[in-house]
Amino acid sequence: MSKLAAKVALVEFRPDDGWQHVIIADPEKCRLCTEKNCLRVCPSGVFAWDNIHGHPVLVNYKQCVECGACRLACPAGAVEFTYPHGGYGVVFHQG
Amino acid sequence: MINDWFKTKKPHKLSPRPEGAADAPSPRKYDAVVVGAGPAGASAAYFMARDGLDVLLLERGPFPGAKTCGGAAIIAEQAHELFPNFWEEFRYERIVTRLDYWWLTEDSAVTAGFTSSRLSAAPYNRLSVKRKNLYTWLAAKAVAAGATLLLGHHAAEVNFDGSQAIGVRVSPPQNAAYLADIVILADGANSLLAERAGLIPPVTAANLSLYAKETIALPPETIEDRFGLPPGQGAAIGLIGYPTAGFNGTGSIHTFHDGINISAGMAVSDFAAGGFSPGDLLDRIKKHPRIQPLLDGGITTEYGAAMIPEGGYHAIPPLVHPGLLIAGDAASLVNGIQGINLAMWSGFYAAKAAYEAKKSRDFSARKLSLYRTLLDESFILQNMRSNAKAAALQRDRPYLFDLYSRLANETAYQIARAYPMPVKDKRKFIWRKVTSLQPVGRIAADIWQVLKVVKG
Repeated sequence: MSKLAAKVALVEFRPDDGWQHVIIADPEKCRLCTEKNCLRVCPSGVFAWDNIHGHPVLVNYKQCVECGACRLACPAGAVEFTYPHGGYGVVFHQG
Repeated sequence: MINDWFKTKKPHKLSPRPEGAADAPSPRKYDAVVVGAGPAGASAAYFMARDGLDVLLLERGPFPGAKTCGGAAIIAEQAHELFPNFWEEFRYERIVTRLDYWWLTEDSAVTAGFTSSRLSAAPYNRLSVKRKNLYTWLAAKAVAAGATLLLGHHAAEVNFDGSQAIGVRVSPPQNAAYLADIVILADGANSLLAERAGLIPPVTAANLSLYAKETIALPPETIEDRFGLPPGQGAAIGLIGYPTAGFNGTGSIHTFHDGINISAGMAVSDFAAGGFSPGDLLDRIKKHPRIQPLLDGGITTEYGAAMIPEGGYHAIPPLVHPGLLIAGDAASLVNGIQGINLAMWSGFYAAKAAYEAKKSRDFSARKLSLYRTLLDESFILQNMRSNAKAAALQRDRPYLFDLYSRLANETAYQIARAYPMPVKDKRKFIWRKVTSLQPVGRIAADIWQVLKVVKG
């Protein structure tokens, strides 16, 4: 388990299996993107580069801490971020 | 006009409208709907409910405070003005009696601190708090005053009639719409509601900072030992320089009752430029030779990240709209290390303006602009105005925090060292060392700019 994965494992998530709150609407923008800020800026490693499948960036939205930085850091404006539906998503307990 | 004379004669204690009137098939309409049960929203809801308004408070988390993190201290005296003796009503962590700033390089630290038992008497100076405990208490207070709190309700959109806000739409699973004369947006740093409705310009990567935090569990006695604290008292340490890897940003350490909260962060645009994540910063800090011993043996119990608006005074968007007010982080009301208090006070002022609007049955932007007036006259905006140039200073001089931490550490190191050379030569040597990091002219220019900002 990577360092980040170990940290993310400490966070409580109530994932919504039926709806994804952060998406990449136009994967073509990612293919052309030279910066790929999302892969590094995201504090919980939601974004991963995928060389195998058709979609270049995987979005592991179930481990999103809902900071919203991805939307601001993306140079192409490709990340569409909104908050999960009520009752779902991250739950912080420790302040 | 004359036919409406009686409306101004209504008693000032406003009572909720009767429910379920036979001729009212339309959904219940509230006097005010507040989005977000954080310190801004819950304060607004409390003061409006206390003044007799029918208030709905919406929170998307399963409890207030579930959606935010970052180790926090509340400035007790400012909160005490709004909620007298509030420390008796909820579980705070520690009474902060030690305030430090540490300027760090890879291997050393220049520190400035103050500690006094004078800070340990009520009304306290600062109290370290867990957000969950503070926000849950505050929301419960609003409910006790008569507000309706709905948890797990995510307001996705403001509904308008023309340009007049008339309520909010809640996303699934409820998929409901709520009507209100006044909408108060207190939905946090990344206010998508206000942005989507076109009420504020889109927030930028330069104005929002991203902070990561770790909560590290340690026995209370160990914490008191390591930080030199009497039982029940705590420390707040600001970390400058090394923690943000050469960028302008800050880290902090807050002591909880049985744990330490360590956080670090900087502008989102700096993370994008730097090519690392806030979690990386935390890992670096935790290994620092001055910080590692403080955390040694502790177990990380929670990791998290959140954004804070740090654009300062000039980044404050328009806060008053027809039928709608914006408060707290959503209004960009954060001043240096002060956020929770400004949020509570902005909620209080929003409630005052909402009450006056309700009293006169006038929900226009003109009537609600009392909110902005109260803010302008308060310590909140006066303090933010005094620091108005700080954000620009940090943008124009991105090297400021890192360079001067280095300079201070290098100077202190050379002064601490004893060399086999005459003192006069040593002084010359130190001078050459310091000016090799930054030429004298540039140092003078930096000091001048900083003084200009401090002078306001």
